[in-house]
Amino acid sequence: MNICMFTWEYPPRIVGGISRHCEGLARELVKKGHTVHIVTLEFPGAPLYEERNGVKIHRVPIELGHPNFIIWTLLFNHFMEKRIAEISKNEKFDVIHAHDWLVAPVSISSKHYLGVPLVSTIHSTEVGRAQGLHTQDSFLIDGFEWWLTYESKRVIATSYAMKREIEEHFHLPSEKIDVIPNGIDVSKYEVNVEHEEVKKRFRINPDEKIILFVGRLVPQKGVEYLIMAAPKIFEQHPDSRIIIVGNGWIKDNLMSLASSTKYSNKITFLGFLDDRDLTELTLCSDVLVVPSIYEPFGIVALEGMAAGVPVVASNVGGLAEIIEHDRTGFLAHKEDPDSIAFGINKILSDPEYAHKLAQNAKRKVYETYSWEAVARRTIEVYRKAIGE
Amino acid sequence: MRFIEKPSESDFVRDKFSRMPDDIYLLHIMHNIGAIDSERALPVEEIARWASMEKQRVEENLNKLVEKGYATLRVDSEVKRYFVTIDGIRKVLSIYS
Repeated sequence: MNICMFTWEYPPRIVGGISRHCEGLARELVKKGHTVHIVTLEFPGAPLYEERNGVKIHRVPIELGHPNFIIWTLLFNHFMEKRIAEISKNEKFDVIHAHDWLVAPVSISSKHYLGVPLVSTIHSTEVGRAQGLHTQDSFLIDGFEWWLTYESKRVIATSYAMKREIEEHFHLPSEKIDVIPNGIDVSKYEVNVEHEEVKKRFRINPDEKIILFVGRLVPQKGVEYLIMAAPKIFEQHPDSRIIIVGNGWIKDNLMSLASSTKYSNKITFLGFLDDRDLTELTLCSDVLVVPSIYEPFGIVALEGMAAGVPVVASNVGGLAEIIEHDRTGFLAHKEDPDSIAFGINKILSDPEYAHKLAQNAKRKVYETYSWEAVARRTIEVYRKAIGE
Repeated sequence: MRFIEKPSESDFVRDKFSRMPDDIYLLHIMHNIGAIDSERALPVEEIARWASMEKQRVEENLNKLVEKGYATLRVDSEVKRYFVTIDGIRKVLSIYS
């Protein structure tokens, strides 16, 4: 099969989970003998065309910009259209796969122009991310999302929670939606790391326990609830440290919130880390916290589980499907610092409980979330869309 | 055709851009107009025009962004030109996803 995938992010352009999802899926599809073209956006230092792991990556320069985000999006969709017109002179695609609303215009126009079926993966929705539709931009984005699902022959949701959301909000027929979870490269975590050396690199005392958060610093991730839980954690575990990895537009607010607690010297903001550093830090962590208030899937939780780190996550969306409470992780109440602190304290205080959660979780990840399984199920969806 | 309900006036007040600090707002403008590498770096005057902000305020905020590592500058024929760094790009994109 010759597959054309549109995505606004692909490594090294990493914004959220879409980038890693597309990379893992594309690489596995190639392993299974398919041809995959990724059409994505330029990124400083990355070539405009390259083949990596057999995946053909086309990075599109944005030749004209505009301060308004929606106009900017429409402009880059136009430049993607220019590129696909060029590529399709020599390539005959069997299916187009769009990832989220940001590439809806180019995906829909390509479907009609090239006459091939469109499959879309909805990784999250505006109504969920923004917890309602509060602005003109939000209403338009919501419209784009509906339009993409309407024009798609098949729609993929990454969790049953996401499927329900799409069905209810966009009034999409249930039989048009397939649920395929995100995958994970488990081999990444099969390495030995020198805990002391890694901790030294990040200026963490060798005897400090690491409470790790990884993600974009945006309201939907609920990082403020972890910071608000800090006093209750440090009262019981003064030998621990909260490490926050990631960047985002509310970083300054979160840093101010951290400073307002008397434990600000025990909360570290590390910013964005590259893959190697992040993997090593995760492997050295004692607990991973995912305090999201909205999470259609929750790939970070999966990464912690694969690394053998006990996970405390809020009981929302995809997280509630990945984690079985008290068996493969601890599910805390949403927006509840006390509940988050309780889960973290329980794990830090009871090594046997922490070990049980980590072992069960690791087993579940290995059995259920391999990229091989994700690619196999995605091919089935492509075949349904093509009508085979 | 899909009909959607129009949001109320008060809903618009909750726009995230209106809650954003000046420096991050400026970073988002620079990103969207394409100042994302040294070749496409822009002088203060042009950034001020796009952002509809006074030159002095733009300069103050650009200094903040450079200090935080979200923007950097190059001097070209004695003209300071600014562009968004990779960390800055990630910061901006977090707003949208």
